[in-house]
Amino acid sequence: MIRYIIVRTIWVFIVLISVLSINFSLLKLAPEYPPTEEEAREIYYARQVSDGYMELTVITDPDRIRSLVAGEEVACTHPKCYIVRGESRWLVYTPVPISVQYVNWVRNVVFDWNWGVSTRLSVNTPAFQVLTDRIPVTLRLNLISLAFYIPIGFLLGILAALKKNTKIDDAISLGVMVFISVPSFVTMTVLVMVFGYWLRVLPAQFPASDALGIVQYTGMILPVLGLSFGAIAGLTRTTRAELAEVLTSEFVLLARAKGLTYRQSVLRHAMRNSMVPLVPDIIGSFVGLLSGSVIIELIYSIPGTGRIFLRALEASSYDYNVILVTTAFYTTIGLFAVLLVDLSYGLVDPRIRMGAKK
Amino acid sequence: MSEKNTTNIPKEQFEFVQQDSKIFDKEFETKPIGYFQDAMIRFVRNKTNVIATSILLVIVLMSVFQPILTSKNYVNLEPAVAFLPPRVPILENFGIADGLGSFQDQPVILDSINESTGFGGNPIGYNPEFILDESREYYTIGCSDFNTLCQGGEAVLRLDSSNPAITVATTQVFNFTAAQRSVLSINVTDLDVDANKVFEVYVRPNPAEPFVLISTINQPGLSEINVFDALGAESIESFSSSVRLRFASDDRFDFVAISSIELTQDGSDAPVASLEGQPLVMNLRSLNLPGEGGAIVRQNATIQMMSFEYRSYDAVFGLRPSNGFPISQYNEIVAANPACVRTENPTNPNGWLLGEGCPIVEVISENAGVVVGGVSFGSYNVVIDYALLNGYDSIPYFLFGTTNAGRDLFSLIWVATRTSLLIGLIVAGINISIGVLFGSISGYYGGNVDIIMQRFSEIIGRIPFLVILAIFIALLGAGIQTLVFILIVSGWIGVAYVTRTQFYRFKGREYVLASRTLGAKDMRLIFRHILPNGIGTIITASILLIPATIFAESTISYLGFGIGHGTSFNFLGFEFSGVSVGVLLADGRQELITRPYLTVYPAIVISILMITFNMFGNALRDALNPSLRGSL
Repeated sequence: MIRYIIVRTIWVFIVLISVLSINFSLLKLAPEYPPTEEEAREIYYARQVSDGYMELTVITDPDRIRSLVAGEEVACTHPKCYIVRGESRWLVYTPVPISVQYVNWVRNVVFDWNWGVSTRLSVNTPAFQVLTDRIPVTLRLNLISLAFYIPIGFLLGILAALKKNTKIDDAISLGVMVFISVPSFVTMTVLVMVFGYWLRVLPAQFPASDALGIVQYTGMILPVLGLSFGAIAGLTRTTRAELAEVLTSEFVLLARAKGLTYRQSVLRHAMRNSMVPLVPDIIGSFVGLLSGSVIIELIYSIPGTGRIFLRALEASSYDYNVILVTTAFYTTIGLFAVLLVDLSYGLVDPRIRMGAKK
Repeated sequence: MSEKNTTNIPKEQFEFVQQDSKIFDKEFETKPIGYFQDAMIRFVRNKTNVIATSILLVIVLMSVFQPILTSKNYVNLEPAVAFLPPRVPILENFGIADGLGSFQDQPVILDSINESTGFGGNPIGYNPEFILDESREYYTIGCSDFNTLCQGGEAVLRLDSSNPAITVATTQVFNFTAAQRSVLSINVTDLDVDANKVFEVYVRPNPAEPFVLISTINQPGLSEINVFDALGAESIESFSSSVRLRFASDDRFDFVAISSIELTQDGSDAPVASLEGQPLVMNLRSLNLPGEGGAIVRQNATIQMMSFEYRSYDAVFGLRPSNGFPISQYNEIVAANPACVRTENPTNPNGWLLGEGCPIVEVISENAGVVVGGVSFGSYNVVIDYALLNGYDSIPYFLFGTTNAGRDLFSLIWVATRTSLLIGLIVAGINISIGVLFGSISGYYGGNVDIIMQRFSEIIGRIPFLVILAIFIALLGAGIQTLVFILIVSGWIGVAYVTRTQFYRFKGREYVLASRTLGAKDMRLIFRHILPNGIGTIITASILLIPATIFAESTISYLGFGIGHGTSFNFLGFEFSGVSVGVLLADGRQELITRPYLTVYPAIVISILMITFNMFGNALRDALNPSLRGSL
C-alpha cells in the first residue's frame, strides 16, 4: 500500500513535470509579446536578463554604433532580439537557447518560486501573484457548487434507481439526458437571460467585491447553478446505474431473505456498496468543475482564474507567464485529484488491493 | 413479442408440435436473423430513440439542403437588413414572431419634442412612420455624457488621488465693461464649507499679465461678483477674458459642483452671456497646470428616452419615397426590369408611374441636374418598393430574424450545424483511426511496447484541456487548424483504450494461433483476424465521440479560439463556412439583452442536436451490444 502510494505520487510528479516542461518549451517557440509601454518594456527586459532568459550586450564603441545606424552591420539576428538604440549606447538583448532558458526557469521556480512577471494583464506584477489574487473567487465558487450538486445528484440518482422504470425514473433520465448533452455555456447563457435580464431577480453579472452583503450571495446563485447542472446530471446517472445494479445483486436479496425490511436492505447493504465507485467519481468531478468554470467565469464576468487565463490568451497579446502559472495551477489540481481518486478506491473498498499484481 | 394474453390458457388447448416428425435435417422455415437485423429490431423497439433519431435525421438533412435551397442571404454583409426580429407566417397573426422589434432606452431627438407639453418626440435613427403609436413610452433617465442629448445638470470639478487642486477655464470669452457694471454670477450647488478647501475665480484684465483672483467662494449658492469692484479702482475700462476656476482641497476625491456661470450687466436680470447645463460642461476645459489635475464630470443631467415597438420589416422593405435618386441608377434598374414600363400619372403631371413589379413604383418629380464634363448628373424623387429592390417578391419572412451583419439566422443556423457536424465527423474519424492504430499495436504486441505506449497515452491524457488550448493558440493562432489539433491531441485515447482491450481479448484465440501457425504476418493478424472481431465494440464505443467532439468544438468556438465569421475551410474540394453554432452563440452574447432571439434559436438547435445525437448513440450501442444496455 505504502509502496503503491509512493509510486503513484512519483508518477504524478513525473507527469506534472513533463506537462509543464512541454508547455514551457512550446510557449517559448511562439512569438514574444513584451509589454507595450516603453518604460515597462525596459524593466521587463532587464528582468529577463536577471532571470537568465536573455543576454545583454552593451555597445558603446562609437564606430560600431555608426555602422549599426548606417545599417552596415546587424546588431542581432535572432528574431526575438530587443534593441534599445541610444545616442552613444546601444543595449542589445539576445535570448539564450531554449534549453538554457529551461534550466534557468526550473531553477527560478524551484529555488525562488519565481514564475516571471505578467507582460500584458498587469504589467510587471509577478505572475504568481496575478494568479493567487484570483484563486479565492474560483475556489469558493467551485466548492459551493460541489457542496450543492453532490446531495442533489445523489438524491435524484437514488430516487431514479429505487423507482426504476417508472414515470419518475423516466422524467429524471430525460432531465439527465438533456443536461448532459447541453453545453454549459448554453445553460449559463439561458440562466443569465431568464433570471438576470427578464425576471431581474438575480444579478445579471457577478457583483463587484464591494457590493452589498446580500448581493454578494445572490450573485453566487447563477454561476453555481450553471456549474452544477451538468455535474448533477452526471452524478445522477452514475448513482442510478450503480445502485440499480447493486439492487439486483444477490446479497441484497439475501438481506431481504434474512428478514430485513426493504428500507434496511437498501440503506445498509445496497447503498453502501454502490458508493464504492462514486467517491472517486466525485473527487474526479472537481477537476471537471474547475475547467468548466472557465466558461462560466467568462459569461458571468467573474474575476477568477479562468477569466485571467482567457484574458492572458487574448489574440496577439498573449501573457505567457500568466498562462504558464495558470496552467500549472490547473494541472497540479487535476493531477492530485487523480492521485486522490486512485488512493480513494482502496480506502472506500478494502477489497480492492492497491497496486496488487494480477 | 406481442402482448397477447398468454397467462390463462386452458391446459387442453396445448398440444405437442412435431411429436411424431423427425426434424434433424429439416430446413428452417423462418428466415435467419443476422446480427445487424437483430440489432435493428432492438433499435426500433425503443420508440423514444426512434423519435430522437428521426429528429437527428431531420437536422442533418436540413443542414445539408437548407443552405443550398434557400433564397435568402447568409453570406454577404447587408447592413440594411441587420437585426430584423423573427417573423413567421401564420404565427405573426397571433402576435408571436410578428416582426415587431421592441426597443428600449432610445434617446429622443430634442427638436421633435412637443414644446408645449415637453413630451413626445421621435427616436434617433428610426423612421417615425413605422413606430406603433400606442407603444410609445417616454421617460427620462440620468446621464453623465458630454453630448447634446444630455440635458441640464451640473459640472463637477473632481480631484483625483494624486492632485491637490484643479484649475479649469471656460473656452468662451466674456466681455466685461466697467461702465455697465458687469457682474459675474456663479451658482455653486455643492461645496462643503471647510477651512481646508478653496474655490477661487480668476479673470485676466490685461492679456500681458497673469490671471487675477477676483473672488473666493466658500459657500454653496449663487455668488455674485462685481468684477470691477473686485479688481480695484485703477483697473481698465473694459476687457475680454475667459474665466478661470481653481479648486483646491486637502481631501482626495473632493469636489465642487457648479450649475451655471452668467454675466449680467446694468443690474438687469437677463444675462448677456450664460453657460449652464450642456454648454457649461462643454465649455470648461482642464488646464492641467503643473502639480494640478483631476477631472470635469457631469452630474444630475437627464436624457429623454423612449421605448417603442417598431415595424422593422416595413421600415426596411416597405414602400418609401426616396429623394434624390440618381438617374443613372434609375436607368440601370429600368433596363434590368422588363416590368418597368413608363405610364402617365393622371394625378401628377410632373412624374410618371412604372408598371407593376418594378422596384421603382413611381417617379414624383425630377430634380434639376448638372452637367460635368459632358456627363449629366440628375436625380429623381421616387417611391421605391424596397422588397423588390432587394430581390424579394413581397416582404420576406426571416423565420429566426437576421444577425448583426444582415444574414438570415435561419439559414445561418443550418450552415453552422453543417459545419459543426462536419468538424465532428472529421475529427471523430481522425481520432478513431489514430486510436484504433495505437490501441491495436499496444494491445497486439503487449509487453514493454504496451507499457511504454500506455505511459505515453497516460501523459498525453493527463494534460489538461486548457494547457493544450494555450499551447496551440500561442503557436498557431485561432483557426480551423488549431481547432482540429486541439480536439485530436487527447481525443483518441478513449478509442485506443477500447481497442487495446479488444486485442487482449481476441489475440489469444485459437483462430489467431492457427493463422499464425500458417505463417500470417503481424499486419495480417491485426487487420484481418483480430480487428474485425472487435470492431463492433470499438465502433459503438466511438459513436459518442461525434457529439462529444461537437460539444468541445462549440465550446472552443464560443471562447473565440476556433473558427469564426469570414473564415472557411476546404474539405474534399468543397468550401465550408467557418460559422459554427458556438460562433453564433458568441455573437448572440453581445446582444443578449436587446435581441435575445440571436441566442435563443442557436441554443435550441444545438441543444436538440446534442440531445438527439447522444440518444441516438446510446440507442445504437444498446442495440449492437445488448450487454452494455443501461451502462454509461
